This record gives sequence, C-alpha cells and structure tokens, in this order.
Amino acid sequence: MTGQEGASVVREQRLVRAFVELADTLVSGFDVVEFMSMLAARSVDLLDLAAAGVLLDDQRGQLRVVAASDEKVRLLELLELQHDGGPCTEAFHRGVAVQVGAAEALRRWPRFATQAAGLGYQVMCALPLRLRDQTVGALNLFRATTQPLDAVDLGVGQALADVATIGLLQERSMRESRLLAEQLQVALNSRVALEQAKGVLAEQTGLSIDQAFEVLRRFARQHNLRLVDVARRVVSGELSGSGIAGL
Amino acid sequence: MNRQENVIHALLADGDTLDAASLPWRVCELCVRRLSLSAASVALISGPQSRGSLAAGGRLAGRVEELQFRLGEGPCVEAFDHGVPALEPDLAAGGLARWPGFARAALALGVRAVFAVPLQVGAARVGALDLARDTAGPLDGDELADVLVLADVTTSAVLFLQSGAPDGALGATLAQAGSDRIVVHQATGMVSAQLRIPVADALARLRAFAVATDRDLDEVAGAVVGRRLRLDE
Repeated sequence: MTGQEGASVVREQRLVRAFVELADTLVSGFDVVEFMSMLAARSVDLLDLAAAGVLLDDQRGQLRVVAASDEKVRLLELLELQHDGGPCTEAFHRGVAVQVGAAEALRRWPRFATQAAGLGYQVMCALPLRLRDQTVGALNLFRATTQPLDAVDLGVGQALADVATIGLLQERSMRESRLLAEQLQVALNSRVALEQAKGVLAEQTGLSIDQAFEVLRRFARQHNLRLVDVARRVVSGELSGSGIAGL
Repeated sequence: MNRQENVIHALLADGDTLDAASLPWRVCELCVRRLSLSAASVALISGPQSRGSLAAGGRLAGRVEELQFRLGEGPCVEAFDHGVPALEPDLAAGGLARWPGFARAALALGVRAVFAVPLQVGAARVGALDLARDTAGPLDGDELADVLVLADVTTSAVLFLQSGAPDGALGATLAQAGSDRIVVHQATGMVSAQLRIPVADALARLRAFAVATDRDLDEVAGAVVGRRLRLDE
C-alpha cells in the first residue's frame, strides 16, 4: 500500500464513521444545532480545513448561521457577513458548489474577503444543502493554504452536506406531522366535549339537545369565550346548566 | 420496486388518481380483496371516549368496530393505547384471555383472527387500522409488512386531511368520521348529569347497560337522548 492509498483508506474510514455519527444523531432525538455542529466539525477533520460553518434558510429568505467548527466571534461574523454577498449566498441561491481563492473573493465580495483574509483563509468554498429542488442552506468551508479542494474533497463535502440535508428535511416534516397529529387529537376531543356538554345541559334544564346547543353558543358569545372551553366547563361541572341557561 | 412502492402501486391500480379522502377506503378495500382479510376499518381515536370510523371494507367491519366501542376493549383499543400492533391469530384461544368480552362477541359473529396497527407519527397517535379474518392463523410475513406500510400511508392521508383545518376544528372529511357517535356522547353527558358522575364513568355505565341488555350502544344512547330511558331509575 502506498502512502497515498493508506491516507485515502484512513479518510474513508473516518468518513464512514462521520456518516454513522450523523445517522445516530438522527435516531436518538434530533437537535438541529448539535447536528449541524457535528457536520461542521467532521468537515474540518475530513477535508483538511481551517474552519467550517453551516448557514440555514430561516424560511423567510434569510440565511442564518446555525453552527461553526469553532465559536470564535470573528468566524461567526465572517459567516454572517455573507448577507451582503459571499460564497454561501451564491451556493444557496444557485444551488451549486462555489469555490474561490483570495484574489477572486476580494474582487467579488470585498467586505467578506477582507475579513476572511484577516483570519488567514486562502480558499473559500460553499456547498449547497440541497435535496432535489429544495435548497435549505449551505455549508461553508475555509482553508488556510492556497491548495483548492479537489474533486474528491468536493465529493466528500457534498456527501456530508446531502446527509445533513436529508436529516434536516426529515426532522422538519416529522415536526409538522406531529403537530398535525396533535391538532387532530385536540379537535376530536373538542367535538366529544361539545356533544357531552349538550347532553349535560339538556338533562339539567329539560331543554332539547338543539336548544341546549343554542344556549351554549349564546353563553360563549356573550362572555367572549371559546365554545369548546364553555363545553369543557359544563362537562366538568364548573359551570351549571341552569346558570348558563339563565333559568 | 420496494414494498412501499408496490403497495402504492396496488392502491392506484383501480384508478389513476388517488385523493387523500378516498385513500382510507382504498386501503380497506385492498386489505379485503388482495390480502387474506375479511374486514378492515380505519378508526380515528383520541382516547377511550372518542373513536369514529373513517372508512371500512368487508361485511363485518362495522360490527367489529361497534363491538370495540361498546365494550371499550379489543385489538384496536390496545394498538392505540400501547402504540404497537396488536396481533391475535386465534381469537378462540389467546383472544378470549386477552379481551374476554370482545372475543366472545366477535367469535359469535364468525371472526377468528384480529389484527390492529396504530396510526402514529412518533409518539403522537391518531387512530388504528383494524383488521379481522374469518379464519384463524397469523398474517404471513409479507402480509404483515404490507399492513404496516398501509398503516403508514393511511396516517399520511389522515394528516393531510387535517392540514389546513382551522385551529381546534377537524378537517372536513375527518369530521364525518364518528359523527354517528354523536348521540353516544350526548347520552354520556345526560347520564353524567342524571347520576352526578364524571363523563368517563357515565360512558362506562352506558356501555355496561348495552352489554347487559345485549343492545347496540348507539341504540341505548338514542333511547337516553330521546328521554325514553334513564339510568338513575
């Protein structure tokens, strides 16, 4: 085995470990910041970087920093600066990988490039976090040497970004589904409470079911309460039927 | 094609479009026609007091569903409560020990095996896919896997039907499920006021009365609401 092959095997093992780690986080309760911090940290290890950061779309069209390989204020500032333009913004909007050296960066995004140079970064790269036609953010990579990321590096970086994207989208859709399931439960229970309250009221007052419903509705309107809240209080006995009906 | 694609393909086989509202019906149909089952229903459940049938297929589906609501026990109740499938391949053996009242009544209807799978997203549950067969024996491995996929597909459809509903309200299609139970809830309220007991206990009384007199719960509830029957006498 040549030295180069040895290095590549080691990297492959580390890559596999990184994927397993990302997958584990997905299974054992998902925390977006924790997950993205791991993505940034593993990218630095695997791609020989000085720093990495993750920006996500805040779903209002702005990119926000959610994680970085270290918490140096200047790195975070640099990531934030891309509001005005930078590799991440471009990768995010165009959905493609963007890589530039110091000179080109200075020409295209002077503020960003000046701050990056101050931190000693020579090569800046951004990979989109994208699944099919949906781009949710970008992974920002910085190298302190002038050696650009080669095709293999970019492939590895994109693979990490892809896994992160799938995890993130899965988590979002799970969260939405859970929310819907909970709303459905609440709505089903509300209906039961309302029907039971009609029955309680009808029994307590001698009114018909339909009349009882009218009384409930009127009481809720007059007191500016939600119908279901009035119903629950009638069912629990907190509100008496005769009191509500004004009898 | 993986299993999920296969199942979806089978759901689509009869027509080229499939809307969320008809999907639960297609699922029941498929269970009865393509799997070994003789009855299938999709129940929306939010607790021991609230369950309604969203879709059904097969002659016995409505009866099996009614029995579980009347008795407050059975595979569907168990699957929902525990969040795992409740599989009983031989109702006459294991079933009698597990749900004595339900098993006896279901056996009398000709049911020999029952299976129920919860409809859930993570820990949040919305109901169960409730299956019955007139011959004893387990679901074979493929059938069980298909049923699990069908439950997932049904859950997605239910959540889709709920999306866009105003806060606190049911999606329009879902509101129809269990609307036949409205009378039971009204009667529960009346009994609760008659006996001055909590609604959960009032429902238990209604259930016990229906079982003791061998009448449907709906029928007993109708008599209470129609003021032909009081439970405090």
